[in-house]
Amino acid sequence: MFDLSFLLEDGHLTLLRNGVLTTVRLFVVSGLMASAIGIVLATLRALPVRVCKALVVVIVEYHRNVPMLVQILVWYFGVPQILPESLKLWINASNTEFFLAAVALSLNSGAFVSEDIRSGLRAIPHTQQEAAWSIGLTYLQSLRYVILPQGIRAALPALVNQALLLFKNSSLAMAIGVHELLYRTKQIDNLTFRTFDIFLVATILYLIGTLALMALSEHFVKHRRVPLGV
Amino acid sequence: MWQRQLAVLIFTTMATAGLAHADALADIKARGTLVCGTQNASEPYAFPDTATRQIVGFDVDVCHALAQGLGVKLEQRGLSTDARIAELKTHRVDLLAAAVAWMPARATQVDFSDQYFVAPIRVLVRADSPIQTLGQLAGKKIAASEGSSSAAVAVTRLPDSNLLTFHDISSAYLALQQHKVDGLVAGQLILARFANEAAQNHGQQYRLLAGPVFEERWGVVINKNEPALMAAVNKILLDYEKTNGLQTSFDKWLGANSVYKFTRNYKVEPIKAQ
Repeated sequence: MFDLSFLLEDGHLTLLRNGVLTTVRLFVVSGLMASAIGIVLATLRALPVRVCKALVVVIVEYHRNVPMLVQILVWYFGVPQILPESLKLWINASNTEFFLAAVALSLNSGAFVSEDIRSGLRAIPHTQQEAAWSIGLTYLQSLRYVILPQGIRAALPALVNQALLLFKNSSLAMAIGVHELLYRTKQIDNLTFRTFDIFLVATILYLIGTLALMALSEHFVKHRRVPLGV
Repeated sequence: MWQRQLAVLIFTTMATAGLAHADALADIKARGTLVCGTQNASEPYAFPDTATRQIVGFDVDVCHALAQGLGVKLEQRGLSTDARIAELKTHRVDLLAAAVAWMPARATQVDFSDQYFVAPIRVLVRADSPIQTLGQLAGKKIAASEGSSSAAVAVTRLPDSNLLTFHDISSAYLALQQHKVDGLVAGQLILARFANEAAQNHGQQYRLLAGPVFEERWGVVINKNEPALMAAVNKILLDYEKTNGLQTSFDKWLGANSVYKFTRNYKVEPIKAQ
């Protein structure tokens, strides 16, 4: 019923392979940036400074409550317009689709990651904080050496969830012309009209990606290792 | 007992489903309605009329002609460009008059009727751009609307350019306005409208590059292996041209009575491979 031989014609396979590579690149870059952003935001929010807390709340709520597609379009079409003229022209003339999509995805995902870490931090009893202080650690040191490592571990299942979402949400970058997997899928569909075949291929490729991610995280959770270098 | 009833139910459902697609023309006549798919936001081919909230345009007129020719009522459906082929293949619509341009790979998947519209696909650039010819687009970024014939054609005809497609033609045009791309690939008609509108407002001006990227030929699209329906559609299209219906519709949306002032220089005839 499904005939995939058309993939071998007219370089469709190359289109698809490049799409997969772009999706993976977008996921890795945004994933790393999102982790960093998430940790910074969660730390700022845990600090006993009211301004920091308020700032983080504003950032997190914007990114949690505005549709992701809108955020991507804002970064691509909107943000460069308010920059100084020379910078704007430079950004518009260079290949900034990938970069701006990565920025939008990282900030969005980073906001969710920070919430996941925050909930992880709240799983750590306050007595540990007090114990850390009692042996002379400063507030930041207590976060870095005592609370965060455990908190992130507690947040790990939620973070895996977030990684899966990010992997799939990377497909929204097609709206601004990033040549990722779904973009290439639709392009091949438009060229060949083999709608069902090519979407079946894309579905399987996305599934391979997400299942691999799940297997990887299962491994980390089992061995109780947190690969975040905190 | 219920297992047997279930088996009978499944069997009859499958049998009727099989029958239902045996002859689309007979189905349409038996049903008394023709479900005709068009685009939903593509002026002047199929777009919402602000006064009546109905989808109207050049393609919709083709739907009306087809329903009339078959002697059935019309049920017109506005579809997104992406979804049109899936809607046809899953039999949610009987046929498409939805700006579908003939291309060899596409013709292996669906059947095209005789052409009812022929138009050049061209490239719009900013007036102050150094680009003068299609050849100079090599290595440059160009924009098109996602799922459009122009996007498909650009892949094969302008392979050295970096093509970015956007959800709709207005986002693609915005990318050209913001200097994110150097050219916009689309039908000559819509590009002419963009250039004319820009000429009326002072600001960034645009011009068309000389020569077409491709001559797109639109046919009514139906599922494979429907010879009876195909013959009926082709006959109606010929009559549509003979009785001046096509010319009247063309003049109204694209020709003398429209803002575009184009003249029709093609005939309804089988599409020749290019």
